[in-house]
Amino acid sequence: MRTHATQPASFHHWKKTGVLVPGLLLLSVATASAADRTTQHFRVDAHPVVAIHNPGGTVTVRAWTKSEVMVVAVRATNEVAVDATQTGNRVDILTRQVAEAAGPGELRTDLEISVPQDAELEIHNDAGGVNVSNVLGDMNVETIAAGVDLEDASGYLTVKTVDGSFQCVRCSGRIEVSSISGNFRFVDVHSPYVRAQTSSGNIVFNGEFLPNATYRLKNYSGVIEVRFSPGDSFNLTARSIKGQVHNEARLDPPSHHHFMHGLGNALFGSLNAGRASVELSSFDGTINILKRD
Amino acid sequence: MNTIGCNEFLDQLGDWMEGERSAEARSHLRSCTQCRLLVADLEAIEHAAPAIATGDPEPSPRVWLALREQLEKEGLIHEPRHGHSHGLADWVDGIFAMIPRPAFAAAYLAALVAVGVALSGPRTTRENDARWLDRTETSTQTLNAQLDTDEQDTFLTLKGVDPAVTASLHKDLAIVDNYIALCEKSVREDPQDETARDYLYGAYQQKADLLAQMSDRGDDGQ
Repeated sequence: MRTHATQPASFHHWKKTGVLVPGLLLLSVATASAADRTTQHFRVDAHPVVAIHNPGGTVTVRAWTKSEVMVVAVRATNEVAVDATQTGNRVDILTRQVAEAAGPGELRTDLEISVPQDAELEIHNDAGGVNVSNVLGDMNVETIAAGVDLEDASGYLTVKTVDGSFQCVRCSGRIEVSSISGNFRFVDVHSPYVRAQTSSGNIVFNGEFLPNATYRLKNYSGVIEVRFSPGDSFNLTARSIKGQVHNEARLDPPSHHHFMHGLGNALFGSLNAGRASVELSSFDGTINILKRD
Repeated sequence: MNTIGCNEFLDQLGDWMEGERSAEARSHLRSCTQCRLLVADLEAIEHAAPAIATGDPEPSPRVWLALREQLEKEGLIHEPRHGHSHGLADWVDGIFAMIPRPAFAAAYLAALVAVGVALSGPRTTRENDARWLDRTETSTQTLNAQLDTDEQDTFLTLKGVDPAVTASLHKDLAIVDNYIALCEKSVREDPQDETARDYLYGAYQQKADLLAQMSDRGDDGQ
């Protein structure tokens, strides 16, 4: 088993005359226990940007209290390299293929990254998975097949997958997510704006309806399920062109199923004062508005 | 206040997009949903233009010519009448100048604008329905042909890509194709169904977006 140190031993770049000079690695340590495990540290200022491009493997990002970004990379083989560089207050982490011919399994790299809480993240990951917890900065995540799990995020979140699933637990920022066949779950979210669109995936929304907030959920097929409590307050528009709409909310005016020309099965009405706006739309999927357990 | 019709508003659309907004045009826009949607789409394109990918090769000039041709055919761009100095054509040219013109994004943008315009066209009578359907089918045929060509080209570039990723892209492309077919059927059955038209347009956008993603993966060799 060999030990790899993929970066120079130690670099230190400082601000000069108030201008951040593009810097590189602050410290690089290779642990002795794992041949393909490398650890790198980058000192950063407030609100750093961390950009991650890792085609295959798991990307796990956690917030910590240090003003530092730590990157732990675990490579399946040395057919792949991990380049981590710092430019000012931005850290770029790029996984790239170095062998001409290598199978997907050989290119797999798992990244565990620790960032300051206020970090802004840009993540590209095709297959594998993306897990982010306790990061409060804005986030942009794009994947193909990788699922995206976010916890306790409060920045502006934009997520795009092809068939990766998306789950957001206790998120509180503006959320925009789109997919073709990915399923979405919003659990205990308290966001002022949620826009979610998937073609064949299901959408489950079980969160708080904030006053003046907008929740716009849309799919072509699949199920859209929204959970509510009797004390919640929202205006509801729900329509499925070819599918069904099931509702357990006592809407005002009293709701009954309509089949309206150009609208399919549709429901309109307010629950309590109608403070939030909930818009549910499907082409031939089912929409369920159900009481919270 | 004097009001104007859709055609007069379209004459002024280029001026509108450049910030010159007459009282008549404002009045028309307040009362006309179709024109409002069109302006919203164009504003969205204008807003998105600078962010569209950089550094990619330019598409062939035929893409831009095809878009101009399509917009002219729709009657949306032509020499300005009534002494207006700026037409939509100028605005479109301005937007194109801003866009770095990545091959796929630009091609789809062009075709999507044509379909979007067709899908949002005014229809008030059955006769209009028939004309609108013809026009929409012409636009969607153009877009479909463009997408089919790009789909074939894109598949060729995906050879080095992780098979799991490729399989995922293929599967989802089939899903989107299926929705396009379903939505087209729905729109043909009921051209007045605005929601179905909205879904159809959305499905085309998804396909274009997906092909662009596939192309990116192919280019990356990942």
